Amino acid sequence: MTSPRAASPRALAWRRRGDAFAAGWRQFARQRSGLFGLGLLLVIVALAVLAPVLTDREGLNVINATGGPLEAPSGEFPLGTDRQGRSVLLLTLWGARMSLTVGFVAALLSIGIGTIIGILAAHYGRWVSAGLMRITDFFLVLPSLVLAIALSTVLNPGIGTVILAIGITSWPPSARLVRAQTLTIEARPYIERSRALGGGHLHVITKHVLPAVLPLVFVNTTLAVGSAIVAESTLSFLGLGDPDPMRPSWGSMLRSAWLDSAVIAGAWWYLLPPGIAIAIVVLAFTMCGRALESVLNPRLREG
Amino acid sequence: MRSRRVALGITVLVSALVTVPVGVPAGASTQPAVRAEAANQTQILRVGVTQEIDSLNPFISITRTGTDILRTAFDFLTVYSQEDMSPVPALAESWETSEDKLTWTFKIREGMTWSDGQPITAEDPAFTYNLMLENEVARTANGSYVEQFESVEATDEYTLVIKTKVPQATMTALDIPVVPEHVWSTMSDVGAEPEMPMVGSGPYTITEFEEAQYTKMKANPDYWRGAPKIDEVHFIYYRNADAAVQGLQNGDVDVVNRLNPTQYDALKSDPNIELVQAQGRRFNEILINPGAATEDGKPIGSGNPALKDIKLRQAIATAIDSQTLVDKVWGGYAEPAAGYLPPIFSDFAWSPGDDVKREFDLDEANRMLDEAGYEMGPNGVRLDKQGKPLNLRLLAHAGTNIDENGGPYIVGWLKEIGINVTLEPVSDTQVNEDTTRGDFDLAFSGWNANPDPDFVLSLQTCANRPNAQGKGGTPDSFLCDEEYDRLYAEQLQELDRDKRVDLVKQMQEVLYDRATMVILGYDNVLEAYRKDAWEGFPLQPADSGVIMNQQGYWGYYGATPAGEGPVPTFDENGMMVSDSSGASDTDTTNAAGEDGGNTGLVLAIIGGVVVVLLVGGFLFARGRRRTADDRE
Repeated sequence: MTSPRAASPRALAWRRRGDAFAAGWRQFARQRSGLFGLGLLLVIVALAVLAPVLTDREGLNVINATGGPLEAPSGEFPLGTDRQGRSVLLLTLWGARMSLTVGFVAALLSIGIGTIIGILAAHYGRWVSAGLMRITDFFLVLPSLVLAIALSTVLNPGIGTVILAIGITSWPPSARLVRAQTLTIEARPYIERSRALGGGHLHVITKHVLPAVLPLVFVNTTLAVGSAIVAESTLSFLGLGDPDPMRPSWGSMLRSAWLDSAVIAGAWWYLLPPGIAIAIVVLAFTMCGRALESVLNPRLREG
Repeated sequence: MRSRRVALGITVLVSALVTVPVGVPAGASTQPAVRAEAANQTQILRVGVTQEIDSLNPFISITRTGTDILRTAFDFLTVYSQEDMSPVPALAESWETSEDKLTWTFKIREGMTWSDGQPITAEDPAFTYNLMLENEVARTANGSYVEQFESVEATDEYTLVIKTKVPQATMTALDIPVVPEHVWSTMSDVGAEPEMPMVGSGPYTITEFEEAQYTKMKANPDYWRGAPKIDEVHFIYYRNADAAVQGLQNGDVDVVNRLNPTQYDALKSDPNIELVQAQGRRFNEILINPGAATEDGKPIGSGNPALKDIKLRQAIATAIDSQTLVDKVWGGYAEPAAGYLPPIFSDFAWSPGDDVKREFDLDEANRMLDEAGYEMGPNGVRLDKQGKPLNLRLLAHAGTNIDENGGPYIVGWLKEIGINVTLEPVSDTQVNEDTTRGDFDLAFSGWNANPDPDFVLSLQTCANRPNAQGKGGTPDSFLCDEEYDRLYAEQLQELDRDKRVDLVKQMQEVLYDRATMVILGYDNVLEAYRKDAWEGFPLQPADSGVIMNQQGYWGYYGATPAGEGPVPTFDENGMMVSDSSGASDTDTTNAAGEDGGNTGLVLAIIGGVVVVLLVGGFLFARGRRRTADDRE
């Protein structure tokens, strides 16, 4: 449009993508809740990433704790202290790293598995589809939390186990979603044309199907991160999270608060920060996800 | 859509879990009114317990709560006194030993009856002990007491003669509930759950049991020491301690024990609640696997071989600060570590002299490791003699205060001396299995010691190591030490108390030196009761003791409702000292004909328990807490 010269196909493609992105962003920016959620997320991620710069990790080590047990919020400890005298603010900040890491990686793992299985099932159809979908059904009917608890009990405790437990128990819904989307895309004429011109399975899947389902996958991932964070908190609360005391998560903070009878002691500053943090992050991801959904699905737009 | 629903469900679950302690009393808060009304009629002591009862079979039960209830229902030959836990007469009014210390003659008190009216004779203890000698199942809980028995015989109606193979120091402390022969001789399966109501000989008899809900006991009016002042004792089960504390605050229960420091401090401000801080019988320790082996010396388990080096173990012991754990983890409600036996047993307790004592000193521990040749490797982790980094696992009981809160300290200190420790919090049963099989490097452990230290001392002997299948023994630290075993055998046969005390102290010095375990401290038992409803309870021992989980039944037996005179004490014969016959009379008259109020109360309690269970049902089902810690 702006360039008078004839561009190469590659440059054309990139420009087209850039335009699509800009249009999408305009659409996204029109939704206040989406922008708000995105802003919230950026702030939280920045805080989590910068935690080692802003604070001293050694403050997490109980043998260096300086505060008294369950001290109420004060100038020195803005969010009070836990039973061991550590700053709850520091724990919440470092807890964000753990919760966000597990949330992102587990969501990616889950969506990854779901996407691969969904596309394969839809593309090959017949017995491949039947087989993969029966496996999906099997995982779908198992209560995922119970399965995750069982897995993290059997495997060695640690961050990897938590990610694995969440990732391989939460993929079936996205597999179904991706399969449905793939089916509608493969029914379109350009796929038929591509096949007629000699495009193989790999070509069709990677060049045509995958780019077409990716937006949906992206939205799904955004929404999945929220539930992965909640799942991580649940596992940690049950004592199945990472037991390393230098790697607290919001779930393990809630667990300590519960074990240390924070409710009986009236130590709201011990219980509320991790709980509210979980709520805010999940809310932010949901708001972003909703906004993205409406960008990609015109029917969801208002007016 | 689905993933969102799941997320919602999980959120609800998490918030339900977090709010359990708040939610429970809300549902049960209608009870105090009912309670106040009913309290004037039937005197019921409601005890809040947080441990499920494994069994009410006196031959089987090993849990804290189960044995606590059974002690109240079945009397012993002799019992530990309320005053200072020395053996005092119970079913046996006197006893004597032969010259060779092998024959014991117990004179059984005349005129006692079982709760069904049948007389108690020497045949009953003879039947009980012989059953344990013949039947393996009957030895499940208390088998160690009869291991050295040669024969048990009732020579006449009121004389019991026990012959032992070797002199046995625990003969006046046989912690075996004596069961009625006329009931138990007709039972086909000794290990089965007994029928309700149970026929007993203690101050109360067990009348009702509902698993994971409650156990009810009624006063035994024919109890030979005299009927208790109250009519019933109910043990009400709570799934977690916070709920039990809320129950106490709302008046749903009268007594709770095993409070954590936070709960104890929170209750200080409640004007209706009296707090009891008692010296505990428990020692807490960290086991250091010195190379686990079976009873015939074959290595088992996956312990880090580097820990076979006594120098490394001693350095680890030097790097653990008991005082910090006492202050921070136990909130000051504990005593710092000394010897193997807790200081409550003042004569057997030992503390290291200045020449052997290891003061907490990280620099000293580092120096010890440097000297022993553990060179510092990359990342601040030392290398063992094979050049591998010193990585150790620390097995912990999930959800236990000292394990969950103390673990990070151990990890922190050992990191300072170049040892990398990974916490492994697992279920109680898992800890038991792994430690019995030797599958650990470091592990949290601890035992409740008895006034007679024989049992806990036996844990560290070679003979207590398991067989090749990992069964048949109760190993603690897998120590197998010649000097220790020799001293153990000597003290077992030493009937002169002073000499035995001396031997036991020497044994503790050996344990301290070998450092196969590090004593962390002895936590206080924190209890609380409602002083608006109760005058008090006889404590055992009288000056610094406990109400619940006594080595006897004094606390429940002497329970005194508010306004009914002083709390009784029991003399050296176990007889009630203060005169309270007037109060008892009033009770019995009051007790007649108030079934209506009683039913209302029972319904209210059941309602409360149902609410507790419903909310508690959300909780991740934990295995029964039949753990090494809780064994008696």
